[in-house]
Amino acid sequence: MIDVHGVTKRFGSKCAVDRLDLEVKAGELFAFLGPNGAGKTTTIKMICGLLAPTAGTVRIGGFEASSLAARQLLGYVPDQPYLYDKLTGREFLRFVVEMYGLDPDRSARRVLELIDTFEMGDYVDDLCESYSQGMKQRVVFASALVHEPRVLVVDEPLVGLDPRSARIVKDLFVQQARSGCAVLMSTHLLAIAEELADRIGIVDHGRMLATGTLDELRSRVQHHGPLEDLFLKLTGNLRPDVVGLPDSSMKTQHAGSRS
Amino acid sequence: MSLALPNSGSESLAAVAEPIPPAHTSRALRHLRWCLTRNTIRSLLSGSRLRLSMILVCCAIFWAGLFGLFWGGFEFMGMNDALFNGIFEYLFSMFFLSILVMLLFSTGIITYTALFHSREGTFLLTMPATTDRIFAYKFAEAVGLSSWGFFLLGSPLMVAYGLTMHAPPGFYLMFLAYLVSFVLIAGSIGAMVAIVVANVFPKRQRMVLGAAALATIVGIIVLGIQVWTTPGEALRGDWLSKVQDRLAFCQHPLWPSRWMSAGLIASARGEWPRGWYYLMVLSAHAGLCYLAAAAMARDLYFRGYSRVQGNRSARRRLGFYAVDAVFHRAFFFLPRPVRLLILKDLRTFRRDPAQWSQFLIFFGLLGFYFMNIPRLGYAVQLPSWRNLVSFLNLSVTALILSTFTSRFIFPLLSLEGRNFWVLGLFPLRREQILWGKFVFSVGIALLPTELLVSLSDIMLGMGPLMIGLHMAMVAVLCMGLSGISVGLGARLPNLRESDPSKIAVGFGGTLNLLVSLVFIFAIVTALAVPCHLYFLGLEHPEAQFALSHSGFRLWLSLAITVSLLIGAVGTILPLRIGIKAVQRMEL
Repeated sequence: MIDVHGVTKRFGSKCAVDRLDLEVKAGELFAFLGPNGAGKTTTIKMICGLLAPTAGTVRIGGFEASSLAARQLLGYVPDQPYLYDKLTGREFLRFVVEMYGLDPDRSARRVLELIDTFEMGDYVDDLCESYSQGMKQRVVFASALVHEPRVLVVDEPLVGLDPRSARIVKDLFVQQARSGCAVLMSTHLLAIAEELADRIGIVDHGRMLATGTLDELRSRVQHHGPLEDLFLKLTGNLRPDVVGLPDSSMKTQHAGSRS
Repeated sequence: MSLALPNSGSESLAAVAEPIPPAHTSRALRHLRWCLTRNTIRSLLSGSRLRLSMILVCCAIFWAGLFGLFWGGFEFMGMNDALFNGIFEYLFSMFFLSILVMLLFSTGIITYTALFHSREGTFLLTMPATTDRIFAYKFAEAVGLSSWGFFLLGSPLMVAYGLTMHAPPGFYLMFLAYLVSFVLIAGSIGAMVAIVVANVFPKRQRMVLGAAALATIVGIIVLGIQVWTTPGEALRGDWLSKVQDRLAFCQHPLWPSRWMSAGLIASARGEWPRGWYYLMVLSAHAGLCYLAAAAMARDLYFRGYSRVQGNRSARRRLGFYAVDAVFHRAFFFLPRPVRLLILKDLRTFRRDPAQWSQFLIFFGLLGFYFMNIPRLGYAVQLPSWRNLVSFLNLSVTALILSTFTSRFIFPLLSLEGRNFWVLGLFPLRREQILWGKFVFSVGIALLPTELLVSLSDIMLGMGPLMIGLHMAMVAVLCMGLSGISVGLGARLPNLRESDPSKIAVGFGGTLNLLVSLVFIFAIVTALAVPCHLYFLGLEHPEAQFALSHSGFRLWLSLAITVSLLIGAVGTILPLRIGIKAVQRMEL
């Protein structure tokens, strides 16, 4: 469903994404990992059709990512959700429904279902300007799902969510994937990737370092510890230095313990 | 809890991705606009009726004031038939040409920000709407924001003109259609320029803006020189006729401003065929320009967005750290944290051309006018007249400064916004934050205003005493206006808003402007009255209330004391209110 082939994105002299290949099939939950500035958000923006690749192709369900057809298949939850301050949550959901040209009766039921799913009943008729970050995040999740997308792209999914909402969202990801949706999730929280993802892709300096199931990654890197150590080994090979840490030998010890 | 699941693939991808009729997305965007407008009005009505009433009353006063001014001006010009018939077409053509340029700039800037830099623009681009529909939605908003001032200025002008000309009732409907068409032409051209800039200069939009502002200033200076070097005695018939020859470019038949002036004058005279003809020319061009802009958006909006977004992260800024070092040495007497805060604000100011370019344009135009004072013959007028003009010039300088402090200094604390806790946790007393902003504001304001007022006085041939008095007044005004804006900015912050223009037009910003106007009026009146009565006494010793030399000394001393007192209260009181508010503020 998501097909990123040989994609490069340059910002002037800086290469943010370098010949990256990525494929997410229908029914698959793919976790996209990488350090800050690795090129995750740039890749996601190209998948959502917000940035044009300098080279290569990005296709959603066989359609070019920037096409209207691709946007109809896609649900996107950005890391910084946008809501209209002067709309209520319900009005915002209705607006999204209208934009996708959905059948009014069916979409009304869908809106009610999502309000129930994300437990928004208490505040969905208040103006969005009064919402907390977590409330906003829930409305944005609901709006991304309201048109029953075939591809769900989520950038940092759990920012601002309380444990209960986070659980709902995590369950939702799995269920979306099991019902045939391709889910691409970019995150810094390795535990979530470990818990939910069918496959994991690790990106650094704009290049895909490794993709595969957790077991495949472990066997490829010859490392059988937690995902955190695997991630650090792939992206830097060592634990980072902590300035002012009294025991500077920690890094060496740790490196030694891995070998 | 129930979980909403997607439709499990019963529909093919091609069926799901079937194009949505553009009418659907247009209707959705129209409905969105309606909901936003309705909810905003409800919030205004339920939240702060005082603010709404104040805005409406201020608009009404402004409209009535402009109407009175225009009507008086037209009546005055009507006393001279030759002048009346000859000059209107030139005046209107120049006026509408200036408005065309201003609307082009403002709509272009607003459209650029709305399409390429706003989070809403990004959100809408992820929706299944074509780019020309998104453009249409954002363009309507940009035109509304940029042109409401033109309607507020243009409608009293047209009503006053219509009344002076005894225009038929149809004229008052017709001029509205003219204004709408004109705004659409200027806005569409501005939007096209914005899209081209995003596509061609994605990294250099501020440089393009600066170059365009510079070109406009050069154009105005060239125009001023043309008027300056016109031979003959200023404001006499032959001089005006020569000026008209030099301004003939504004009458070029291809300027929309020319169609406006010719059509409106014809309509006011009841020459309907000519009036309708120009209205049709204008509206046809408005439609054409809008279609061209929408087509350009359809083909280039996404490309421009991608280029602008892509190039943002690669930008580097010069730090000018040598300037910082010089600043620290020059202001060694200020506490270091205050100096650092001032430097932070200075850096923000320097990196935002919207701030310094407006400052430069307004004060540049004022400087140009002051340099032209000898050409206008004020210097050879009676002393009381020169004194009056000098105080008027000082008032204008202070008024422009008050718009600057309301627009840029008042929002300073609000702009710290959600990051205010960073300042709040610094090892400095909270009042130092306000003192830093106060010193920054006074420093920025003092230099140009002192230069301008002394230039005006020198050009008017005022004596050293009056020059000294005016310079001291300006210093008091700078401190007072800065104190009011910093203090009220801290007392009435809007920490949710990140756009300074929206903070400035809110309740706090409007109140700040009103208090600033009252402050200027009080200071200027306190000093201008005894000075005027003294100079009047020099010419007409028998005049009522005229002051003798000794009486002038006494009244001037009293006026200086009163104005210093008003200045001190105007500076310290708002600052104290602001400091208390900041100290109470929870992070």
